[in-house]
Amino acid sequence: MTALLSVRGVGKRFGGLTALADVSFDVEPGELVGLMGANGAGKTTLFSLIAGNARPSSGDIRYDGQSILGLRADQVCRLGIGRTYQIVKPFPALSVLDNVRTAALFGKAQARTAGEADALVRPVLDELGLAGVADQPAANLTLSAQKRLEIARAVATGARLVLLDEVMAGLTPTEVAAMLATLRRLRAERGLTLLVIEHVMRALMDLCGRIVVLHHGQLLAEGTPAEIGAHPQVLAAYFGTPG
Amino acid sequence: MNASRRAWTLGGLAGAAALLALPAFGNDYVVGVGLTVLMWIALTQSWCVLSKMTGYVSLGHVVFYGLGAYLVVVTWQQVPLAFAVLGAGLLAAAFAALVGLPVLRVRGPYFVILSFGVSELVKFSIMAAESASGTASRILFGAPDLSVIYYAMAALALAATLLLGWVSRSRFGHGLRSLRENEEAAETLGVPIVRLKLLAFVLSAVIPGMVGGVMATRSTYFVVGQVFDPMVSITVIAMAIIGGGDDAKGPLLGVVFLALLSELLWARAPLLYMVILGAILIVFVLVLPNGLAGLAARGRTAARPPDARAAP
Repeated sequence: MTALLSVRGVGKRFGGLTALADVSFDVEPGELVGLMGANGAGKTTLFSLIAGNARPSSGDIRYDGQSILGLRADQVCRLGIGRTYQIVKPFPALSVLDNVRTAALFGKAQARTAGEADALVRPVLDELGLAGVADQPAANLTLSAQKRLEIARAVATGARLVLLDEVMAGLTPTEVAAMLATLRRLRAERGLTLLVIEHVMRALMDLCGRIVVLHHGQLLAEGTPAEIGAHPQVLAAYFGTPG
Repeated sequence: MNASRRAWTLGGLAGAAALLALPAFGNDYVVGVGLTVLMWIALTQSWCVLSKMTGYVSLGHVVFYGLGAYLVVVTWQQVPLAFAVLGAGLLAAAFAALVGLPVLRVRGPYFVILSFGVSELVKFSIMAAESASGTASRILFGAPDLSVIYYAMAALALAATLLLGWVSRSRFGHGLRSLRENEEAAETLGVPIVRLKLLAFVLSAVIPGMVGGVMATRSTYFVVGQVFDPMVSITVIAMAIIGGGDDAKGPLLGVVFLALLSELLWARAPLLYMVILGAILIVFVLVLPNGLAGLAARGRTAARPPDARAAP
């Protein structure tokens, strides 16, 4: 089986600063992969490279067997990759419904009419608990709801692969638990493949079948949550070396 | 909402009927006022196609008007007028397509200044070309009848209103609103932002080009500085702000309000007019950022019984 997403020797430099160097890993269809690393490890940069918001300095990124290098963000989206932003970027003056409609109209789903779009959007709003605020301007939402709006938009594009950037940061423990259930349900019911950046460690360990660890822009380790939890280099990077 | 739609339909039909019947009943002064109203409708609605929909506030809308007027004047009595006017629209669109990509790369205040600069650059370039060729001004003989000009302008005002109405409701317009709110997020959701912005810019240029072409036939005396007057761009923005909203209704309110106000005050108190205009703009920006259209919507909400307001 070919990987849905294949990151091959990807590097990114900003002037003299190396944000990412020679990072390689695969994500298989239907997998739920966690992306872990300290602040500045290059996680969000990697998302930007995959989603077409920025271009890698070296290496190749393949989606569904096809190189997506050099494609713009909107082209990558139409191929079937959705992403959320850690710092939420809603369309503040538009209603929640209109926010999500944009995704259905312009994403991979390519709905031609408002009616067609709504048939796609309504179930997504239900799944993410946004149906009750569908007519509110997005600016009125709580942070928790804005994070869910980010996910709703990414899912409503019709994406097969969704990149989730810290969708649980800043949420209360109850909200985190609800979010975990929502993500599992989305994956099960829509057959989504998820690549998840998360600082809430328990959540990541609970959720993911496999975890990729970045450290100072390099791939430090890759494995099941149990393997990562026992990995000496990961422990050293997070807690320092003993002695 | 049904009552308000009916009010809009009735008001719109009554207004349109009155404007269409005007040349048959009114004297030249009244027809001239009607022509001015129609011109501002066409200019403001077309400005909204770019600036209200995308948030790229253009302070250079007059450049299309000026180019259109200039084309009609230089081809005067060499090309049938109808073709010259159509050509004016095409010229404006071609110019927008040419400068669109670089100009639309900058947002916010930078775009405002840049659009103004482009407009002034074209104005002074044409002025320089005219004076180099020794023509300081041109006199036009054989202009069409006022009622012909009037109905041509009515057609353009209608076309601009229909265009904005279509854009506002279309998938295209939805994409424009999304990129107005957040360009990066819109692109990540699949909106081809560069193509959409350019298309909106070109669409917003066609009608003012033709308006300029038609208006050039209105005066028998042509001066470059006049058809590229920045006051035209500023007035368009004032009308759009006072009108409010981002569909085709708001600008209609703003145009009628400001055009009639200026007609009342212009002759009697020209200095006071600018003071009052400034004061009105300040009030609208501070108190009614969503303009007359927003005020009308607020009035409707307040008029409904409280339980109806809570229900979706």
